[in-house]
Amino acid sequence: MSFSGPNVVKKIKDSLDFITGVILLVISLVLALYLVPNYIGEPPILQNPMMSPKWLPNIVSWLMFAFSILLILQGVLVHQDGENDERKLVKGPLRRFIIMLVAVLIYILFFESLGAIVTGILATVLLFLAHPVRTWWAYGFAIAFPVGVTLLFVNVMNVPLPLMPL
Amino acid sequence: MMKKFLTVSSWAACGSAMLISASFSTAAVADWPTKDVRLVVPYAPGGTTDVLSRRVADLLSDELDANVIVENRPGAGSTVGTGRLARGGRDADHTLLMASPGHTIGAAIYPNLSYDPVEDFTFIQNVIDIPNVMVVPADSPYHSVIEFIEAAQDQDMAFSHSGVGSSIHMSGELFKTLTGSKMTAVPFAGSGASLPALLGGDVDVSFENMPTVYSHIKSGDLRALAVTSEERSPYLPDVPTLSEIGEYNLDQFVTTAWFGLIAHNSFPEEGYDTLKAALDEVMERQEFLDFAEQLGAQPGQVEGEEFKQFVIDDLARWQEVAEQAGISQ
Amino acid sequence: MENFSEVLQLFLSIDNFIAIALGVVIGVTVGSIPGLTATMAVALALPFTFSMQPVAAILLLVGIYKGGMYGGSITAILIRTPGSPASACTLLDGYPMAQQGNAKKALKTALFSSVIADFISNIALIFFAAYLAKIALNFGAPEFFWLICFSLTIIISLASGSMVKGLLAALMGILLSLVGLDSVFGSQRLTFGNYNLMDSISFIPLLIGLFAIPEILEFYRKKIVPHIKAKASGAGMTLAELKRSLKSIIRGSLIGVLIGAIPGTGATAAAFISYSDARRRSPNKANFGKGEVEGVAAAEAGNNGVAGATLIPLLSLGIPGDVITAIILGAFMVHGLTPGPIMFQENLSLIYALFLGIMFSSLILLVVGNAAIKYFSLIADIPKSILFPIVLMFCVYGAYAVNNSTFDIWLMLVFGLVGYLFNRSGIPAAPFLIGFILGPMFEDNLRRSLLISHGDLSVFVRGPITWFFIALTFGSIAYALFKFFQERRAAGKDRQLES
Repeated sequence: MSFSGPNVVKKIKDSLDFITGVILLVISLVLALYLVPNYIGEPPILQNPMMSPKWLPNIVSWLMFAFSILLILQGVLVHQDGENDERKLVKGPLRRFIIMLVAVLIYILFFESLGAIVTGILATVLLFLAHPVRTWWAYGFAIAFPVGVTLLFVNVMNVPLPLMPL
Repeated sequence: MMKKFLTVSSWAACGSAMLISASFSTAAVADWPTKDVRLVVPYAPGGTTDVLSRRVADLLSDELDANVIVENRPGAGSTVGTGRLARGGRDADHTLLMASPGHTIGAAIYPNLSYDPVEDFTFIQNVIDIPNVMVVPADSPYHSVIEFIEAAQDQDMAFSHSGVGSSIHMSGELFKTLTGSKMTAVPFAGSGASLPALLGGDVDVSFENMPTVYSHIKSGDLRALAVTSEERSPYLPDVPTLSEIGEYNLDQFVTTAWFGLIAHNSFPEEGYDTLKAALDEVMERQEFLDFAEQLGAQPGQVEGEEFKQFVIDDLARWQEVAEQAGISQ
Repeated sequence: MENFSEVLQLFLSIDNFIAIALGVVIGVTVGSIPGLTATMAVALALPFTFSMQPVAAILLLVGIYKGGMYGGSITAILIRTPGSPASACTLLDGYPMAQQGNAKKALKTALFSSVIADFISNIALIFFAAYLAKIALNFGAPEFFWLICFSLTIIISLASGSMVKGLLAALMGILLSLVGLDSVFGSQRLTFGNYNLMDSISFIPLLIGLFAIPEILEFYRKKIVPHIKAKASGAGMTLAELKRSLKSIIRGSLIGVLIGAIPGTGATAAAFISYSDARRRSPNKANFGKGEVEGVAAAEAGNNGVAGATLIPLLSLGIPGDVITAIILGAFMVHGLTPGPIMFQENLSLIYALFLGIMFSSLILLVVGNAAIKYFSLIADIPKSILFPIVLMFCVYGAYAVNNSTFDIWLMLVFGLVGYLFNRSGIPAAPFLIGFILGPMFEDNLRRSLLISHGDLSVFVRGPITWFFIALTFGSIAYALFKFFQERRAAGKDRQLES
């Protein structure tokens, strides 16, 4: 490769790759040094080291370590083409994003207690408002779909979705 | 006692309707089920337990004149679904669970279960028993259990099973412990996957469920050395049981893949009686007997307290095997 | 054939045709709803088959199976939500195509290649069952091990962009797949005592989370782009495109047949192997992953090629290769039939009636699929502001439906976040998925081989099948490295010229 020579750039060429690499490096070290040794049970006698439940996780963690170093190096040395970089988003208003997070939280926190229909309607209406959807009849969908799909799941497909709180 | 307590509590709940329910109280409670009955299957759709439960649910719906809805709650052996039942809750009086060896083996090998596998449940009826069969490939040099054990005293044998903690696995471990044979467990993901290894001769022996290997025994691709049930199977009348061999402590080797209905320990006594009567009807129906025959299985033998004692004994046995084999987390 | 009339009599019953059509319709519908899988539908339909004639009963289940295989691709293409695991590969090119206004073309491509693959698979089932069954029996753990090694090499060709990131993604996938109870000793691995994790991480919540959720997250994070009212459903597949993809479809079908005939590998792996093979051979290599018709065709051919072939070990050996065939085996037994060599002696006419029905189901799939596309492709015209909230709802319900557990909803959302971060940092999701699928197979077969041989390593080179896959594995790695350095050198030269 053509990185030798007088104009070695000291600056990091791709900071995103660099950061990703560092994060994965930390994760792989936590895995290899803490999680794998402490959270994988191993039988007392083993005929072959390859038989150990720790064998593959260990190898994979260390490989991850090695490749994250490579990724850091890549971030430092290689410049990515900036034009069609799909990693970057043109960010929109924060309000929208926060409303979406609230909708997701509704599913996470209340699915079991309020039931599938109520949380489904609440979250869908919220997401419509977040955009905002201005066609009023679309809100009919926000009610029809959770009700219809829940009934389909429960009655036809035998999926015991949590229903109304009683 | 129980009946009285339930009537009292339902009165309290009824409040203003007390007078009416007083005059109809016996009729009202005898009216179990008052809504759909749920039959929890603690395994994923498609397994033996699931297929069996759906058949039983189907027939039971007829006899009870109520919908019996199968609900799959798989996870961690059968312990996730069973734990959920043990917690009880709103519909506990209309919820049943199809228990299987996973109930006792799970309790023997999983640590810190959230429930007591015996005391938290009402044991209703052992519905079906499927024997396991000790099979070897057709070209295997062993023609009897004794020949096999003698060879296994100094030669390490590989036995296939369908997953850690399955009745197939535990039968193998039990055999190993009782006979002092040298045996290595080779795990596969389900019976389907372990069959080719057995047919191809990669493993020496297996303790498969009867329905999995029955056709291969009949076609001569596998040789049955013994069945694990207490009595010979009517489907393989020439094959001895392990317990009748007697030598090498095998007289203690009686296990089947049993399936039975259990419920939460608060299950109403009236429900128990109605259900019991309906189950008796189901188990006498020709459809049920035909179905059992297809599985190479036999209708269950024990019910109620006897069933409970059976589970207690089964649990104690697997706890011992799990400890000896070192399968316990 | 002497009892040909008996075969016809068994086959030409109105019940059979209703069963096939009903099965395919149910399969396509259920398969297209995220979280509801063909497996569930087959299990639910099973009790209804108890009272049916055996041929109709089996055909109903087979119809659901085949419909489900195709149905999964519909939502994968339209809303990036794979309805079934096997269609995860289809979305790699299908979704970009839909985004470019070619939803209908993508759906048609998926349908045509599904039907062709299905047809080829049926032919294999009918004419080569005995031969393929023999291969399946010779496929022990060591042979499997090398097949998995070979399959792992496709990660290299899927890691578009950065090889390092692709391999990192695969490693993460492998690690996550190992969470759960150890398959040999039953000891806990990274479960932290959580019972929901003991059966390892559920596949479908992971799949939906990884692909569908980031799309929704990004939509609400991004600047609002006004919805362009266009006939997004677009044109169908042209004959030229079909011709161009035909070789990939046939190769994909054959890969599917081989993998389907070996119990326990599964359609997902077949789809990815077929996809990477098509990509390796294609002159449009760079367009793969960005909306390449041939990519959709190869993926769907791979996963549908499996469908008919999984019936090979079932019918000829009585061995179910996956959960669905296990249920179908149950249906046979309820009717007093035991699949395996004996059935070929005792119930030959019934088997041939089944074969006719299975062939006919390919045709039904074409008709039903075509009708489905007509309506489903309209989804592509719905504004995302209305579509995505409803997709999210489906995802939540669907994740719950897999194990009837709220834990899976959380799991799905966590993987949604992971997928979002993957997109932000340019880590490809496909290698992650391959690692997740193949990781446990790799480890299990490695250890299984060692257990079978009592620790003797020579088991890994024990016969011609192992030699074949060893050659294929190393050949594939060598080829990939050669290409990699060739491109590097070319790129390096360009850069030197520029500076």
